[in-house]
Amino acid sequence: MKRRDMLTGATAAIATAPLARPYAQKGVTIRWWYHLDDPKATPNEFIAAFEKENPGIHIEAENIPWGGGGDYDNRLYTSIIAGNGPDTSMVKFNNLARLLEMEALSPLDKWIDAWPGKSDITADLWRLHTAPDGKRYYMPLQYVVLYLYVRLDLLAKHNLTPPTTFDEFLTCAKALTGGEQWGFGMRGGSGGHDSWMPFAFGTGARPVKGGFVSPAALAQNRYFIDLMRTHKVCPPSAPTDGFLQIVNNMKAGRTAMAVHHISTANDMANTFGDAITAVVVPRGPDRSGFATFGDGANAVYAASKNQEAAWRWISWLSTGPNNVLYNKAAGQMTVTTSGAANWTLHPKRFVDATVNSLPIAGVLPNLPQTADFTRVVWPQNTQKALLGEITPDAMMQIFEKLFFS
Amino acid sequence: MNVSTAQQRRVPSQAWGTKGGGRRSSILRPGATPWLMLAPALAAAAILVLLPVLDTLWMSFHDVILYRPRSRPFAGLANYAWALTDPVFWESLRHSLVWIVCAVSLQFALGFAAALLLNRSFAWRGIARALIVVPWALPSVIIGLIWTWMLDFNLGVLNEIGVRLGLLSASIPWLAQPSTAMAGVLLAIVWQGFPFFAVTLLAGLQAIPGELYEAASIDGAGPFGKFRHITLPGLAGVMATALLLRMIWVANSLDLILVMTNGGPGTATQTLPLHAFLTAWSGGNYGHGAALSVLLTLLLLGVVVAYVWRNRA
Repeated sequence: MKRRDMLTGATAAIATAPLARPYAQKGVTIRWWYHLDDPKATPNEFIAAFEKENPGIHIEAENIPWGGGGDYDNRLYTSIIAGNGPDTSMVKFNNLARLLEMEALSPLDKWIDAWPGKSDITADLWRLHTAPDGKRYYMPLQYVVLYLYVRLDLLAKHNLTPPTTFDEFLTCAKALTGGEQWGFGMRGGSGGHDSWMPFAFGTGARPVKGGFVSPAALAQNRYFIDLMRTHKVCPPSAPTDGFLQIVNNMKAGRTAMAVHHISTANDMANTFGDAITAVVVPRGPDRSGFATFGDGANAVYAASKNQEAAWRWISWLSTGPNNVLYNKAAGQMTVTTSGAANWTLHPKRFVDATVNSLPIAGVLPNLPQTADFTRVVWPQNTQKALLGEITPDAMMQIFEKLFFS
Repeated sequence: MNVSTAQQRRVPSQAWGTKGGGRRSSILRPGATPWLMLAPALAAAAILVLLPVLDTLWMSFHDVILYRPRSRPFAGLANYAWALTDPVFWESLRHSLVWIVCAVSLQFALGFAAALLLNRSFAWRGIARALIVVPWALPSVIIGLIWTWMLDFNLGVLNEIGVRLGLLSASIPWLAQPSTAMAGVLLAIVWQGFPFFAVTLLAGLQAIPGELYEAASIDGAGPFGKFRHITLPGLAGVMATALLLRMIWVANSLDLILVMTNGGPGTATQTLPLHAFLTAWSGGNYGHGAALSVLLTLLLLGVVVAYVWRNRA
């Protein structure tokens, strides 16, 4: 019997286990807050599947506006403070520190350790989902790792191959810049920190205390800023370009390379066919590197009166075939090994680039300042550096001060 | 006091105390009736306006961090000291002044011109009067998105037209460079807000008696003379009220900037309300955000007092 089949069987076994029986006798409603990037996607299909397998547990799903993350987070915090929070919700690493400070989360370790699906999630993912205090509050649900989109047809005209180092990246970007085309679609606007981190921490520096102002990070940040200021391989609109701009510029043929993740893979493949691929972001000379991990998890709240039923729901979502079903709606990667083995939702080359990036995947520090960093401090100061209003080194000193002063 | 006024003032007491009802009228004095009538509205205003204002004031003197709900120590004037010593505050204040002066004056000029035009007779005037309200009726977020894409460097229609007509030698990243970003956002708010002036001033124009213009013509007044001596004085009251109201609204508005630039590039378009919003909403620091809001209110108080005084006058 294959491992996947075993896990599928385990899922069915869990569904009929005694744990489910109390709910069958006395029904409970679990309030689950979620956000799916695609506004047309709904959770109805997988909720119906869960409720069929778990009679007695009703899932009341509430779609919470994202608003760049700020709307979602603030609604979550205020609902918890008001005593009207959900039983469980989708969460991001960005808000882990704040939720911990609020003592809002329930640790999941005892359930995770007894959960049959635990081994179907890689050690890399469990490592990334472990809080600074060593406990696990977040249940992996979906993920992306940022990689580099490359137009192979444009590179071929210059007899170049996809870059693997920062020197090669600059060579490619320069070669692909000319006229109304730019080598690199830099994202200096909202959410751009995700595509900046592989550059800043690509040669060994890490986003830890002292890391932002380490010689390696400072040098790499100068390299990043110089892509626009000195080498001019990015569109002049780069300081404020956000997600839609970098994706649309790439699709319009205005840029030849961009950092993003698998959620746009189908769109890119539909536009360019085999002329586009994705590779792991450039790495330093010692093969160090940093691929930003884009997380999506579920958490159970300490105030919930139905924590066990809530756990049952979120563990069901993270189990092999259920997680694949969920990610059909979410458009991201399954967190399960069994699900990834037969993944058909995205072309294989993009899945490979994602999976191959996992060993160097990293995240920002889990601190209460992180959310403010991503939404305000990073874009404001990076834009100032890109426009020459402050130096790249001053930009990094501001970041270090925000996190660790 | 004339007789009719005196009678009117007696009416409320008569309503409460009729024949043999003197006991009730002695409990509820005539002067109390207006307050009784106003009580529901005052209660609603107290709950919906006064309480939040007092709460903001309270927060501005405390260290209120959203994700630390159990700890809200008294901070005295620390939040105000932080705000006033932060260079971003002064930069945001400067941007706010540019934002208010440019947005209101341009909206007024365009709205006044549109009102004068719409006050004349021409074919399809009814349709023109209806269409001019469209920008005012659209949600700010939609307007922000429309203008963001129209001004886009790579795919924007304005750059495309400008380059094709030879007005621009190359596309301009309007919203990505500090020298043009504020102008880009101002363009959007002027387009959104000028219909308010157009409609308000048009109503004012229509209230000016036509006989005044006829008499002026007989006296030999030219178009400029009529405009100066009849139109402008006739509209003065409406103009003042509309300008004061719009100044307050524009000073407080942040939605267009939030959608189009989020205050960027850097802090080139960050105004005071946006600074307060980002501090509270994104940073979670409601103490700082409240202090910034109170300072903004104090700065606007002059305009508010002028508006209230004008209405009373």
